[in-house]
Amino acid sequence: MSFITDLLNIIGNFIHGIIQSIFGFSPFLVDAITMGLAAVILCTFAAVSFMGLTYVERKLVARIQDRVGPNQAGPVGLLQPIADGIKMFTKEDTTPAAADRWVYNLAPLVIAVFALTTYAVLPFAPGIVGTNLNIGAFYVLAIGSGSIIAIIMAGWGSNNKYALLGAFRTVAQLVGYEVPMLLNVLPVIMLAGSMSLIDIIDHQTLANGGTGIPNIVLLPFCALVFLISGIAETARSPFDLLEAESEIVAGFHVEYSGMKFALFFLGEYVNALAVAFMFTVLFLGGYAGPILPPYVWMLLKAAAVFTVFMWLRGTLPRIRVDQMHNMNWKFLVPASIVNLILVMILLKLFPSDAALAQANGGILVTPAVQAGILFASNLVVMLGALAIAARRARGARLAEEEMLAARRAENMAAAKA
Amino acid sequence: MITTAALLMGVTLIAASLLRPKKPSKAKLETYECGMETVGDTWVQFRVQYYVLALVFVVFDIEAVLLFPIAVAFNALSWFAVLNVVIFILILLAALVYAWRKGALEWE
Amino acid sequence: MTLQLILFFVFSLVVLGAALFVVTSRNLFRSALMLVLSFFGVAGLYVLLDAGLFAVAQILIYIGAISILIIFAVMLTRGMQGMEPRNSQYVGAAVVAALVFAGMLFILGPFRVTFDPQSVPLLNLIFRNATPREVGAVAWPYALEQAGALRVVPETYIADFGRALVDINQYLLPFLLIALMVDVALAGAVHIARQRRPQEMIEDRQELEAEIASEQAAIEALQRSAAPALPDTAVAAGNEH
Repeated sequence: MSFITDLLNIIGNFIHGIIQSIFGFSPFLVDAITMGLAAVILCTFAAVSFMGLTYVERKLVARIQDRVGPNQAGPVGLLQPIADGIKMFTKEDTTPAAADRWVYNLAPLVIAVFALTTYAVLPFAPGIVGTNLNIGAFYVLAIGSGSIIAIIMAGWGSNNKYALLGAFRTVAQLVGYEVPMLLNVLPVIMLAGSMSLIDIIDHQTLANGGTGIPNIVLLPFCALVFLISGIAETARSPFDLLEAESEIVAGFHVEYSGMKFALFFLGEYVNALAVAFMFTVLFLGGYAGPILPPYVWMLLKAAAVFTVFMWLRGTLPRIRVDQMHNMNWKFLVPASIVNLILVMILLKLFPSDAALAQANGGILVTPAVQAGILFASNLVVMLGALAIAARRARGARLAEEEMLAARRAENMAAAKA
Repeated sequence: MITTAALLMGVTLIAASLLRPKKPSKAKLETYECGMETVGDTWVQFRVQYYVLALVFVVFDIEAVLLFPIAVAFNALSWFAVLNVVIFILILLAALVYAWRKGALEWE
Repeated sequence: MTLQLILFFVFSLVVLGAALFVVTSRNLFRSALMLVLSFFGVAGLYVLLDAGLFAVAQILIYIGAISILIIFAVMLTRGMQGMEPRNSQYVGAAVVAALVFAGMLFILGPFRVTFDPQSVPLLNLIFRNATPREVGAVAWPYALEQAGALRVVPETYIADFGRALVDINQYLLPFLLIALMVDVALAGAVHIARQRRPQEMIEDRQELEAEIASEQAAIEALQRSAAPALPDTAVAAGNEH
């Protein structure tokens, strides 16, 4: 039983031992080679899951839309990703004549590299992590933010007005939704007292004095806004107005084809999977769970989150660009700020640690009660924000109807006269 | 620490650049300019709203980066410190409200 | 030649080389991208200093936000290609840059200077009670490391930094001032970039027309004064301008 649970650990130790003993390198070199191998394995995992995910997504979205999806390549269409891969490899790589060589060629590479680098800090099991940075959560957000530059590179390098315009609009969207993401990871870090992803998971399990309650129960509003921002960050549906075929002709990657386009595509899916993993780590408790080995739990939870992504893609209509920006800056950001302030005040009012209660005052409560208080406050913020938004929307709609009615009355009067 | 991330990057770079040259070239279509015609320079009517949005993002980015270490040290902070952090956040919320009222957040 | 030293040289080369490219390139957009590369080099240097938090903050703020802002600002100007890297003031600028560099070498180097404000004729009126100060003699990390006197960055530096930011005896005032300063910058940008109301658009246009009219009047006055009644000298004077 413990063999299955510790499978990854055993394999890792085995390989490490082999490298150490057979080649007799210095410890530093052995470490370097092991880390290199870990990097290769992570990249392979990301690439393979990318292939599988494109297939699953197409099938799931097809079923939601009452059709079958790919079923020609192999049994039940299982070889579809391979067919797609062959297509991407053999497509001609047309490069526009006036494009800026370096920038044009470098852009998809930068996006793919940034997307894959986020996997370096994701913990798949208690000991299995690329590198346990003590700034893990911050690192993932920063790398996601850094990949935005590559989109401008792609748009500019294509030397195409529409690509450039699409790049600007994409960047405006990504940059806008970065803010609620940052603001809603803060309460999680406040609870856990550390930015390291393993510490955050430990806080949600019963290990090391954690609470044993996943953060989604404590902070549902934060989880929801993080999910929405994550979907918008990776420019998936319903936020994919920039790669919609009816809009600016496929956006900033209109001049790319073949392997480079495949790299953009890979970047998008790898980013989405990274967001799913981050959500499970931050809010669902990561690899914690009974009976099954931890890495299985991690993959199951991430798969569940990604299923939600695919479900939303198949169900919701595309959002208009001004609706998207309004929702971000006028709804999500103020609500997140209010939520943050509320959580801070409540955490200080109702600490769950005896020593802190002594030092700073406040009413000592058990972790469960604190969880309940935070949950209630999050619900209040969510419902309050929705109520305010609904009231404003109703006011706007009523005003518009009045205006239309007035104009109709005018026209009738003018027609009679 | 960063070495693993750098190694990841390196592996991806090598892998991607090895994969890339495998394009069988239909050489006759080499100068095919797909996409729209580009009449004139690549200078689009750049609306200033993009710049204002980027600036608002810079403001909130700086705020978030300063709030992250404070969040890490949150448990040990006194009430006075928390009050100051709340004031900090409210100042930036005021900036957002100002931008909202002045119509800087309209029309993407 | 430890790995750290090699990495330090690599990152420094990246920072300096990219910065050189930024100021000498003729293509404005490539300059902006090289600036991004320079920021990456700085982040690498932060990592070498055991300050991972600041490296990641550098990537998040500088590369994720400020370089986008710079590129957007660059897009607002026309003529992105064929920019001339030197203008007519480059000699003076080079002299000033060399002086500043020499000053920094002096202050951050092994020289030590004792500066007594009392001895300078005008300054001793302002700084009446000042004691002599020593400037310089900065021990660089490499020298400290060789001497085994390097201070190690503690494990809890993130929490320490967080606490210091809100401690009234440490960085609380700069912390709140940052918020105010950033607010003011945002308010200024919003004000400048706001949508002009129709009345303001009319006023803007009137201003512009008045400017053009006054410039034309000035040109005509100049032409008339430079050219006494003879037509061909008027043409010659006109061609001179």
